[in-house]
Amino acid sequence: MSSTAQTQEYVTLVSGDGFEFVVPRSTACVSGTIRRMLDPSSNFSEAITGRCVLETLSGVVLEKVCEYFCYNQKNKEQANVPDMDIPPELCLELLMAADYLDT
Amino acid sequence: MAMRARKKIHAPRRGLMSNNVNTFDEMWDVLASSLREIHTKNASSLSFEELYRKAYRIVLMGKCGDLYEQVKQLEGEWLGQEIQKRITASITSSLLLAKEPVDVKDQSNERRAAGEKFLSVLREAWEDHQLCMGMITDVLMYMDRVVTTEHRKPSIYVATMAIFRDCVIRSNVRSDSDSVVGDVLKDTVLFMIQLERAGHVIERPLIRHCIYMLEGLYETITEEESSKLYLTMFEPAFIETSRSFYRTEGQRILEMADAATFCKIASNRIAEERERCLYTLSTLTESKIKDVLDEELISRHIAEVVNLEGTGVRSMIDNDRVDVLASVYELNSRVDKKKTPLTLAVQKRIVEMGQEINASATSAQSAKPVEKETNGDKKSEKEKEKEKPMNQQTMSAIKWVDDILALKSKFDRIWKESFKQDQGMEGAMMNSFSEFINSNPRSSEYLSLFFDENLKKGIKGKTESEVDSLLDNGITLLRYVKDKDLFETYYKKHLSRRLLMKRSVSMDAERQMISKMKVEVGNQFTQRLESMFRDMTVSDDLTSSYKDHIKKTGDPDQKKVDLEINVLTSTMWPMEIMSNNKDGEVQLPCIFPKEIESTKQSFEQFYLSKHSGRKLSWQASMGTADIRATFQRSNGKVQRHELNVSTYAMVILVLFNDVPAGESLTYEEIQARTRIPNHDLIRNLQSLAVAPKTRVLKKEPMSKDVKPTDKFFFNHDFQSPFMKVRIGVVSGGANKVENQDQRKETEQKMNEERGASIEAAVVRIMKQRKKLVHSQLMNEVLSQLSGRFSPNINMVKKRIESLIDREYLERVAEEPPTYGYIA
Repeated sequence: MSSTAQTQEYVTLVSGDGFEFVVPRSTACVSGTIRRMLDPSSNFSEAITGRCVLETLSGVVLEKVCEYFCYNQKNKEQANVPDMDIPPELCLELLMAADYLDT
Repeated sequence: MAMRARKKIHAPRRGLMSNNVNTFDEMWDVLASSLREIHTKNASSLSFEELYRKAYRIVLMGKCGDLYEQVKQLEGEWLGQEIQKRITASITSSLLLAKEPVDVKDQSNERRAAGEKFLSVLREAWEDHQLCMGMITDVLMYMDRVVTTEHRKPSIYVATMAIFRDCVIRSNVRSDSDSVVGDVLKDTVLFMIQLERAGHVIERPLIRHCIYMLEGLYETITEEESSKLYLTMFEPAFIETSRSFYRTEGQRILEMADAATFCKIASNRIAEERERCLYTLSTLTESKIKDVLDEELISRHIAEVVNLEGTGVRSMIDNDRVDVLASVYELNSRVDKKKTPLTLAVQKRIVEMGQEINASATSAQSAKPVEKETNGDKKSEKEKEKEKPMNQQTMSAIKWVDDILALKSKFDRIWKESFKQDQGMEGAMMNSFSEFINSNPRSSEYLSLFFDENLKKGIKGKTESEVDSLLDNGITLLRYVKDKDLFETYYKKHLSRRLLMKRSVSMDAERQMISKMKVEVGNQFTQRLESMFRDMTVSDDLTSSYKDHIKKTGDPDQKKVDLEINVLTSTMWPMEIMSNNKDGEVQLPCIFPKEIESTKQSFEQFYLSKHSGRKLSWQASMGTADIRATFQRSNGKVQRHELNVSTYAMVILVLFNDVPAGESLTYEEIQARTRIPNHDLIRNLQSLAVAPKTRVLKKEPMSKDVKPTDKFFFNHDFQSPFMKVRIGVVSGGANKVENQDQRKETEQKMNEERGASIEAAVVRIMKQRKKLVHSQLMNEVLSQLSGRFSPNINMVKKRIESLIDREYLERVAEEPPTYGYIA
């Protein structure tokens, strides 16, 4: 099972309120926390199943987080990229999520 | 923007904190049991997110420090109890005997098995610890971030590594003993290495992993490179045991084996230790163990190995053991840039072998005088005997050169193949060569004879490149000869004979030789030799233009004598071969037959009309003549022969034209009519009347000696299978080793010449410097002249004195002695 986890190209991120986001493994690993969580050598249950339940994050926030993952992946090592649109009401929560996820 | 500003910013939900308010203790209990689960490898049942969230929350609660301490404590308990127990259980009593030397075979086997078990348990514990700590650190990542930045404490990973060090490596093996696990580890690894050195196969990867562990642990929490446990705990012991091992090993091999084996074992050991550092221990140790090997195995013994009786460098050289020499060189160059012992041994051997060659040459030499003395006063006998040893001597001279060349090529090969063309070695070898070559006082003469022989006969039928390499070889030896001026003298003498008597095989080779010498020794050296060649070509032109001149003037009488002339510049040619008046008495010129005389005068006229103010002196002793002789047989037949004789012999034979058949001339008559110097006359008469194959004259009484009262007849019964007969002059033309008298003479001339060059050098230097201290002047003179010869200090002093006497120099000051130049 762990061997399938290693080869999995996509991982599932689950918000505290039950929303599921399927993102490429490489984008999810932008977050240090998720990267460690999925580290195949550590053998935690997340690493085996490829499914991370992030209880502290709401679906709205996690959606924005996933958007950022993709945005980060896309614009990696490029100059003059457009800013990401962040709704002001999410600002603080996103900040906390960033701290939690080590991104 | 304005729209957005109006929107209310929600305070973040306090989901992280307030959801279900847990106390630190509650959360820690969950965490602690989870961490234990991780240690027992049950991580798959745990959710990373849950643990992470708990730790995160504890940190947010501000209990970061507490968490850190709790984790440390937990780890300490785990390592100190569980792991340590496991490890000490694996330490059997046989491992604890480590300190005592293990001699018995089965005991060592037992120990080895126990050691391997212990090492693998330790390795497993270490790897588990590493893995678990990796996971725990991941879980506690958030705590780590706070701890390292805000509390300035080492990360939990580092902290637990230190705990591992203290609770496992440094824990006592038994409660009643002082030794700790680390010591057992060290002793076990050293024991394994000892086994491997003794030729056993050991589990390298196992040891390598334990060494990794030591490399991963540090003495201090800051983890400096130098505080690795490997460096502090293991390496010194390893170096120490290696040192004592190789100390005894070196002595053991030296006592048991020969030099070649020693080198082989040493090289193997070096490779082995290198490999050990790569695959068993750490690369950090490589240079250190190399130093130990260099010092204990090589430095300590190399001199002894080199000089080992019967198998050392000497016998390697003698037996051309190029490979072994190469390894000796390799070993020696590891410890000593200059390779002193090897160089000394090689030098010594070169000189020894060179002296052998010298000795064999001189023994052939000394054989001669003894023979000479026993031969008493019968001159003709002596003359004949002399012919043989002379040739032998020449042979021995040439053999000497050949031997040296063979020796040289032998050492060149060794140098190339064994010594990696080492510069220092080359210099040392050159010095040794020149040492023994110069220790033979006749080296210059021999070398010149070698060239003479080769240019006369040796290069016949050889290809150009062969000739080239032959000459090159000779030139290499010339490089070693210090007294180059002496060589020049001999070479000039031999060259002049070759040129005048047309004995040289190839003029091209001669020119090649000169140009090679020019490259090697310099322009000045070959100047005179070159002008000798110039004289030869000028003379050829002169001869042909004289012939044209005769044709034009159309004097019919002149047709009888065909003249070929060599006009030589007297200063450039060695004069002693031309004038034989040793006693200093005035030698009247030889009386030529009138046909010759008229030719001579006509040429003189011709020459002086071209170059006025020059003086021609005729050197009959150097010339040859072709004459056609008719022999009237008693049966009436007429036999013609063409005789190639020396000029003097021609003069003598022409005398017999006027002598009626059956009548004779006495020695004194011949002398009176020709005025040929006594010495030459005797020799020429000998070759004409005594030598069995060329007896054109008959002598009465028939003896080998020529006495003033002897009578000479023309021998009409002269027989020869050839139309052309060459009549050589006894001991005349060929270039041979000089006898004692000639040698003395050459030396004397040499000294005069050297004196002149010393004076010239002194004057040259003083003219430039005006004032100079004695020692400085000496140095400059020596350095200026060293290219040509090594001047004798006393001679230089004498010359300076003489220059002062002649008022070229003056003494300016006494202390230190200083000279001034008088313009």
